[in-house]
Amino acid sequence: MDFLGIENLKARYGEHVVLNDISMTVEKGEIVSLIGPSGSGKSSLLRALVGLLPVESGEVRLNGEIINYRDKQAVKRLRDRLAIVFQQYNLFQNMDVLRNVMLAPMKVKGWPREECEREATALLEKVGLGAKLHVYPDQLSGGQQQRVALARALALRPEILLLDEVTSALDPELVNEVLDSIRLLASEGMTMIIVSHEMAFVREVSSRVSMMAAGSIVEIGTPDEIFQNPKHERARDFVGKILHR
Amino acid sequence: MNYTLQFGQVIDRLPYLAGGAWLSLLLATLAFFGGMIIGVFGAMAKLFGGRILAGIANIYVVFFTNTPALVQVYFLYFALPSFGIILPPFEAVLIGLTLNSGAYLTEIQRAGFLSIHRNEVEAAETIGLSQMQSVWYVIVPHIVRTLYPSLSNQYILITLGTSMAAIFGVEELTGRALSLNAETFRSIEIFVITAGLYIAITLVANVLLVFLGRYYFRARMRLF
Ligand SMILES: Nc1ncnc2c1ncn2[C@@H]1O[C@H](COP(=O)(O)OP(=O)(O)OP(=O)(O)O)[C@@H](O)[C@H]1O
Ligand SMILES: [Mg+2]
Repeated sequence: MDFLGIENLKARYGEHVVLNDISMTVEKGEIVSLIGPSGSGKSSLLRALVGLLPVESGEVRLNGEIINYRDKQAVKRLRDRLAIVFQQYNLFQNMDVLRNVMLAPMKVKGWPREECEREATALLEKVGLGAKLHVYPDQLSGGQQQRVALARALALRPEILLLDEVTSALDPELVNEVLDSIRLLASEGMTMIIVSHEMAFVREVSSRVSMMAAGSIVEIGTPDEIFQNPKHERARDFVGKILHR
Repeated sequence: MNYTLQFGQVIDRLPYLAGGAWLSLLLATLAFFGGMIIGVFGAMAKLFGGRILAGIANIYVVFFTNTPALVQVYFLYFALPSFGIILPPFEAVLIGLTLNSGAYLTEIQRAGFLSIHRNEVEAAETIGLSQMQSVWYVIVPHIVRTLYPSLSNQYILITLGTSMAAIFGVEELTGRALSLNAETFRSIEIFVITAGLYIAITLVANVLLVFLGRYYFRARMRLF
C-alpha cells in the first residue's frame, strides 16, 4: 500500500482550475520532487495536501486512511503528520529560536517542557544552530532562519515533510547550508515532497520527479527518465529550457 | 529682578505636591486603559464593522482627534448638566480623557491589526495551533510589539494632558501647584518643582516602558 496516495485531486481559485485531476503516490522513505514552470500548481498541490487550499474533489490517503479535509479536527491531526516549510520562513518574530521550535510540541501536543526543550535543542543542533538557541529571528541570516523553520517543522515528528522552494528567497551563498540540512534528513530516510528550482539538487536527492504544467502532472519518473529522455513534449520543452540556461 | 529664591516653604509641601502627582498618574493610567478598550472596539469596527459601524467609529475618531481635549471636557462638565447628567470634576475629566485617548488609540490599534503578517498566521496554522492559540501566542505579541512605541508615547501624552483637570478643580499635580501658589506666592519655586515632578513621572514611566518593551515584547525602541 502506498504511504501517501493522491487520487484525482482537483482544486480551483474561483474560476481558475489550479489542480486538475492530480494523481500520484509517495512511498515511505521516498523523496518526490515537483518541478514545472511558474504557475503550474506546485505550491497549490502542497497547500492542498496540508488543508490550506480547499479541495473540490478527489481523495488523499495517508497510510491507507482517507483524509477528510472538511473536518477541522482531522485537519489538525493531519498537521503533525504532514509538515510544510515555505519559501518565506515565517518564523514567529516575538520568540527566540528555541521557543519557535518548542511551541507546537508543547502547546499542540502537550508534551512535557523538558522533553520538548531537549528535542528542540537536538533538532537545532542537527541543522547547525546549536549555538543560536536564544537568538531572535531578526538576528539571523535567511539561511539560518530557514533552517530554524526546518527544525520547527520537524519538531512535531511528521511522517512526511513538504518543502516549497525553501531556498528560493536566499542569497546564493546561503543555499547550500539549507540543502545540506535537507540532505541530512534524506540520508535518515525522511519521506519528503520537494518543490525546488535547484535542478542539480533535485536530480541528486529525488527518488522520483514529477513534472507539472498548467495544474496537471505531465510526467512522473526517476530523475534520469525525466532529465535525460522525457517522453512528453512539454516535459522536453521545460527540461530543455532549464538545462540550457 | 530682585526676587530671592526660597525653596524652603515649597519643599515642606513636597508631599502635598507628590500626592497630586499620584492622582495625575492614576488619571492617566485609567484613561489609557479605558482608551485601549475603546480602541480595540474602534479598530475592529473600522476594519471589520461594515459600513455603519465603521462610519460611527470614523465620526468618533474625527471628532475627538480634531477638537481640543479641554473643549471635550468642558462639554461634559458644563453642558451635560443641562441634560440632567451631572458629573463630578474627576469623573468628567476621566471620561473626557478616556474618550479622547480612545480615539487616538483606535487609529494606533488599527495600524496594528493591519500589520499582522498573513504568513506568520499561516505558519501557526500549519503547525497545528488552534485559532485561539495563534491569537494568543502569535498575533497579540506581534501587535503589542509593533505598537509598543506608539502606545507608550500615547501614555506619556495623556499623562501631560491630565494637567487640564486643574481647571475643573481636581487636586492633581497642577491643581495642587495652583493652590500652593495662591497660598504662598512662591510661583517660580512652585512651578520649577512642579515641572520637575512632571519630568520625573514621565521619565520614570518612559524608562520603565522602554525596558519592559525591549526585553519583554522585543519592541524596537530607544530611550530618547
Ligand atoms: N491566492 C490565489 N488566488 C488566486 N489565484 C492564485 C492564488 N495563488 C495562486 N494562484 C494561481 O494558481 C496557479 C498555480 O499557482 P501555484 O502557486 O500553485 O504555482 P507554482 O507552480 O507554485 O508556481 P511558482 O513556481 O511560481 O511558485 C497560478 O496560476 C496562480 O496564478
Ligand atoms: Mg510556488
